[in-house]
Amino acid sequence: MSAGNLFLPALGATGLVLSGAILLATANRDRQELATAEAAIVTSETRIEDFKSRVERLEGELEAARAEVADLRAAAEAGDEAPAEGEEVAALPETVTPVTPSTPGQGNVENGKKLFAECSGCHKIGAGAENGIGPHLNLLFGRKAASVTDFRYSDSLIRAASNGLEWHADTLSDYIEDPRTFASGTRMSYDGMKDAADRRDLLAFLRTYSDNPADIPEADPTAVGTDHTVDPEILTLVGDAEYGEYLSSECTTCHQASGGDDGIPSIVLWPEEDFVTAMHAYRDKVRPNQVMQLIAGRLSNEEIAALAAYFKDLEE
Amino acid sequence: MGLNRRTFIGSAVAATTLSAPMVRAAGHGKPRVVVVGGGAGGATAARYIAKDSEGAIDVTLIEPTRTYYTCFFSNLYIGGFKTIDDIGHSYGTLASEYGINVVHDWAIGVDRDAKTVTLAGGATVGYDKLILSPGIDFVDGAVPGWDLNAQNAMPHAYKAGSQSELLKAQLMAMPEGGTYCMVAPPNPFRCPPGPYERVSMVAHYLKANNPTAKILIADPKEKFSKQGLFEEGWANHYDGMIERVGPDFGGANVEVDPGAMTVSIDGEVTNVDVCNVIPAMQAGRIAEIAGVTDGNWAPVNAADMSTKADPDIYVLGDASQQGDMPKSGFSANSQAKVCANAVRGALTGSRVFPAKFSNTCWSLIETNDGVKVGATYEATEEKIAKVDGFISATGETAEVRKKTYEESEGWYTGITSDMFG
Repeated sequence: MSAGNLFLPALGATGLVLSGAILLATANRDRQELATAEAAIVTSETRIEDFKSRVERLEGELEAARAEVADLRAAAEAGDEAPAEGEEVAALPETVTPVTPSTPGQGNVENGKKLFAECSGCHKIGAGAENGIGPHLNLLFGRKAASVTDFRYSDSLIRAASNGLEWHADTLSDYIEDPRTFASGTRMSYDGMKDAADRRDLLAFLRTYSDNPADIPEADPTAVGTDHTVDPEILTLVGDAEYGEYLSSECTTCHQASGGDDGIPSIVLWPEEDFVTAMHAYRDKVRPNQVMQLIAGRLSNEEIAALAAYFKDLEE
Repeated sequence: MGLNRRTFIGSAVAATTLSAPMVRAAGHGKPRVVVVGGGAGGATAARYIAKDSEGAIDVTLIEPTRTYYTCFFSNLYIGGFKTIDDIGHSYGTLASEYGINVVHDWAIGVDRDAKTVTLAGGATVGYDKLILSPGIDFVDGAVPGWDLNAQNAMPHAYKAGSQSELLKAQLMAMPEGGTYCMVAPPNPFRCPPGPYERVSMVAHYLKANNPTAKILIADPKEKFSKQGLFEEGWANHYDGMIERVGPDFGGANVEVDPGAMTVSIDGEVTNVDVCNVIPAMQAGRIAEIAGVTDGNWAPVNAADMSTKADPDIYVLGDASQQGDMPKSGFSANSQAKVCANAVRGALTGSRVFPAKFSNTCWSLIETNDGVKVGATYEATEEKIAKVDGFISATGETAEVRKKTYEESEGWYTGITSDMFG
């Protein structure tokens, strides 16, 4: 008889009920774990299938490319005009379509693409994407914060980067959830994406434009960057930056010259085209803010161009 | 703050470019600008002249207080949405970053012939251009029974700081079910929606802490700013708490007795627990001393805010009589930039651009229930004239009202950065 059993009679009925409850709980927990494990297996199997089909597709493309190269070689050898160097490379498939693995737990890329509409006014992504109001987001994952060439970041992000901030799923998620809590002086005028599932979907979309696993697709860059079109002639106006400096004093009553945002968005260091387009959107009452409609409403095309020219290069 | 200046390739800007740079300093080296008053008008003007002239103009700012408490958002302090420190600002950056000579003293005299300002401490300061932005003072005898000696018993809290703290302390000490009375001012006065935002903030405080208390407003005006929005908000949030007596029922016939803590409205005497007397206003006294006032205010030219009385003295903000703009911090800040551009042009030959003015006033009625009114203005021969405007609508969604409040918070940081650097 073990020492434990000695106590059994003393525990009586209550003890038995308790022991039963514990056994039941244990069984329940085991069942849950089993279910979780099974789900994980299904998940892994789906992922394996995804990767297999991706490998198949890429192999197919590679095969086609090889065949094309072989054809070209044959043609060249047959005495046709030899393709110049580089053309051969150009003959390789250009259309690596965006990889959109519907990997469970990593977010829904399609939904992320829809959510990106909130970002696309400022951020461009995809082949040929350039910096706009915000930096382009190609190859975002794994990169050091505030590291895109030729983009002027807020002191706040530069400081965070020098403290070692890198962009990964966790840091990006925290940043997107509440930008101003994450980096108080950021010029990213965005209130934050509070829903964790949405953030996961958005990040899954952004992830497809980063190295490993995904390539940058040769699609058009996302983000037309505007909710409004402006007569191209207006965009060619050369702004008088000194006049813009004077006019800007009306803006800085509300918009901080430092680019900080405490409830009114940053307007400094925007590309001129974005600035002009936004102001015309207010002037034409496409964008709703009453104060901005009023202010933009009495600015001429030249004055808007002047403001854009000034704010583009503003030094902090 | 600098600018990567680009060549100006003739866009159609009606700028007055002076043919040759000129320094109009009367034979004493650098031109000198003296600014009296370090609020939304004065601090902004001083900062812009110093910043944009890049050392070519000596700027002196005379302001008696070392910590400036903004009148705007002081109602939010009374409502408990802001701390007193949230609305306090120092002049350190104006001195250290912009090289402004900040003098904490009272200006008590102006000699327009010698072009000097006398300070209470005894010093005199010479100027080429003098900018007065002294805000408001109260008209003697405007509310019978009340004078400055009574402001401890019956605070105005219409210059922010210790008066705001006093009013809040009195509100907190109010007996259960007591009465807060506001004697509202006649037009024109600083911050047209201010008294009514004040009432909203007092109601917000009382609703949470003293829900059976009453608010009584004696008002000499038929109508007031954002009236529809305030009355809608009061009915929604503070139903039955607020009573306003307009001129039809004697709201213009008010006497107070600070000793007895009574208010007489059209002869009917009421005991009150807190009495917030906001008397009729006039330009800050130094404008009158300088001889640039006509009646209660200082008439100015709309194009550059120079006074009608003296082209070398400018008056900004509440103290000026300019036309259509309301007396507000936003207006003063807007006028200051037009003035700064003109003054700098006159002293250094820099480009002078056409005047553009704007104003927006946000008011908070209850938590996240913000409203706003705004307009743009231009300079005409006669006055600053309204161009266009808007006002929040009644019945807006809670989401819109919350956004409006958040916008006001953004504006507060914006304008205080614009004033103090």
